[in-house]
Amino acid sequence: MGAISTEHSGASPTETSEGSPLASSPRTLIEALNSAPGDRPFVTAWIDEDERESVTFAEFRCRSRVHAALLHNNRVAPGDRVVIIMPQGIPAMTTFVGAMMLGAIPALIAYPNFKVEPSKYRTGLAGVTANLKAKVFVIDEEFPDNMLEQVSLGEAILVRAWEGRSVNHDAELPSPVVQPDTLAFIQHSAGTTGLQKGVALTHAAVLRQLDHLVQVLKINADKDRVYSWLPLYHDMGLIACFMLPMVCHLPVVMQSPLDWVMHPETMLQILTEYQCTLAWLPNFTFQFVPRRTPRSRLSKYDLSSARALINCSEPVRASSMDEFYDTFAPFGLKRGALQSSYAMAENVFAVTQSDVTRPSGPARLWADSQRFRGEHCIVVVAEGTAGAVPFVSSGRLLPNHEVRIVSDSGEILAPGLVGEIRIRSDSLFAGYYNRPDLTAKAIVDGWYHTGDLGFYLNGELYIVGRKKDLLIVGGENIYPQDIEEIVTNHPSIHDGRAVAMGVYNPDLGTEDIVVVAEVESEELLQNATGIEQELRSQVAAGSGVAVRMIFLKPPKWIVKSTAGKPARSSTRQKLLREHPELNVEF
Amino acid sequence: MTAEAQQMIEHITRTLRKPGLEIHENTALVSSGLIDSMALVGLLLKLEDLTHMRIPPGKVQPKDMDTVALMFATVQRVGKPRK
Repeated sequence: MGAISTEHSGASPTETSEGSPLASSPRTLIEALNSAPGDRPFVTAWIDEDERESVTFAEFRCRSRVHAALLHNNRVAPGDRVVIIMPQGIPAMTTFVGAMMLGAIPALIAYPNFKVEPSKYRTGLAGVTANLKAKVFVIDEEFPDNMLEQVSLGEAILVRAWEGRSVNHDAELPSPVVQPDTLAFIQHSAGTTGLQKGVALTHAAVLRQLDHLVQVLKINADKDRVYSWLPLYHDMGLIACFMLPMVCHLPVVMQSPLDWVMHPETMLQILTEYQCTLAWLPNFTFQFVPRRTPRSRLSKYDLSSARALINCSEPVRASSMDEFYDTFAPFGLKRGALQSSYAMAENVFAVTQSDVTRPSGPARLWADSQRFRGEHCIVVVAEGTAGAVPFVSSGRLLPNHEVRIVSDSGEILAPGLVGEIRIRSDSLFAGYYNRPDLTAKAIVDGWYHTGDLGFYLNGELYIVGRKKDLLIVGGENIYPQDIEEIVTNHPSIHDGRAVAMGVYNPDLGTEDIVVVAEVESEELLQNATGIEQELRSQVAAGSGVAVRMIFLKPPKWIVKSTAGKPARSSTRQKLLREHPELNVEF
Repeated sequence: MTAEAQQMIEHITRTLRKPGLEIHENTALVSSGLIDSMALVGLLLKLEDLTHMRIPPGKVQPKDMDTVALMFATVQRVGKPRK
């Protein structure tokens, strides 16, 4: 099928409506925070039924000033980078904002989990240090000492957040002149590789994105309340569940990701108790919560307040959305409350959002499977057609957003053809911090190459999968290179001969990490179980993630590229052919 | 080892379905990569059933669930009677 030049645009921007939280047109994020009514509730950190901590906007500002004073005492000045390694909670948020109050540039880094080996964590930190040239690192009281031993922090100063208790926060703080186009903060993905790519975002880009979200989500500061279990270092947690409430003056109830994943039912408790209206959730949540909540307890919950539970950061699956709806419809959940979005840190957050006023939720279609798999072409067929592939739309483009779907050879594709998604918008990032090499590869002629595969049809964007090498497990980005490096360091594994991949697990609604690796010699396969256990343990210690399946193969099994490196895509196809039990949809 | 701990080991062995894998009271489950955080909720629910106790959120971390022995120690430490 021939390609025609086609680009797609979001609606033209409209004036921010009167009464909208952004009607006052703040120039910076701190200006937006300062305009919030002091007595309005802001953050509630939910620990359990008997323990929670809440702050109003005035209290939040006051605590942020304490942290600003602490940083100021450590000679932090405008433009300095401040790395924050603190667990989910109000202190991490006020430290982040305290840095911005000084005109400094904060970056929240994932807190080490207990599985991670200190030496591996230190390697990641050393990478961040080298790249950001941070002025200070802020850690909390519980931060394990051995995670920092022998780390060269360069000229950075280690600041302990609790020292803020003795700071005189009534002292005059400098009032830096922060321009809208100065950097507000830097956001990193997790993992050693992700830490090399800090997404640098300006105040103006973040505010423009939030302005678009206010419009498309029809945010009402007097009625909306956000629920979140998302980590603050992730764009969903940072932008949708921290910056959006802060700038729009919305209350947010949050819990730690670990507390949630061990007690997913608590999400229902919080939605019910606080009558939350908005939440952003990766796809697997829509299966995980219904399957991990005892049926006998469902009747305690009331989800009628939810008006947009937005499926985001993993490909949206119809079956996951349906499972959630079928389970909770008897408990007040409206079909139209299940929504979708396509988002990425490089665009601050959302590129698309489904229509929140549509009672049936995001658009869906069924595509002929042969045409889809064979020709990467979407031919819509009737629902229920044998073998048809279902797709859920990720919604329409935000205002001032444009998308192109591009073939491998660089042709711009017509609607209904699958290719790489490229975007251009007024929220696009300024670049990867200190990495002009990576920025130049990612943004070409103003278009960001997302590395995601999708198609555009009838004004809606559908995400099919990924072109670039990235695993998404439970909404979290994991770089396969981090896992492969650990695996190939094992003495029984041939150097450089391992491929880590994500394989969709329909029972979980997210990807499993699967590794295939070549042993040095065939006789080593007699001890496959032992090697497998060692690899599993080393990957957990080195990256903090668990591998679902490890396949050990004889030498020369992995498909190589012409450059002699493992060819990921071909190796994946070979593995899936040999192991039909992996049961991949597409 | 208590009967409840033995039942938990049998439950984990059934769940993991890894031939040849032997689990003891002190076998590392999470730090060894055998169990990921998404599977912990199933173990917590089983633990609550076996002990007739409630384990409140916010009081338990994955490291408290790393071995069967630690799981039962955690119940002793933070468990509350079921309502």
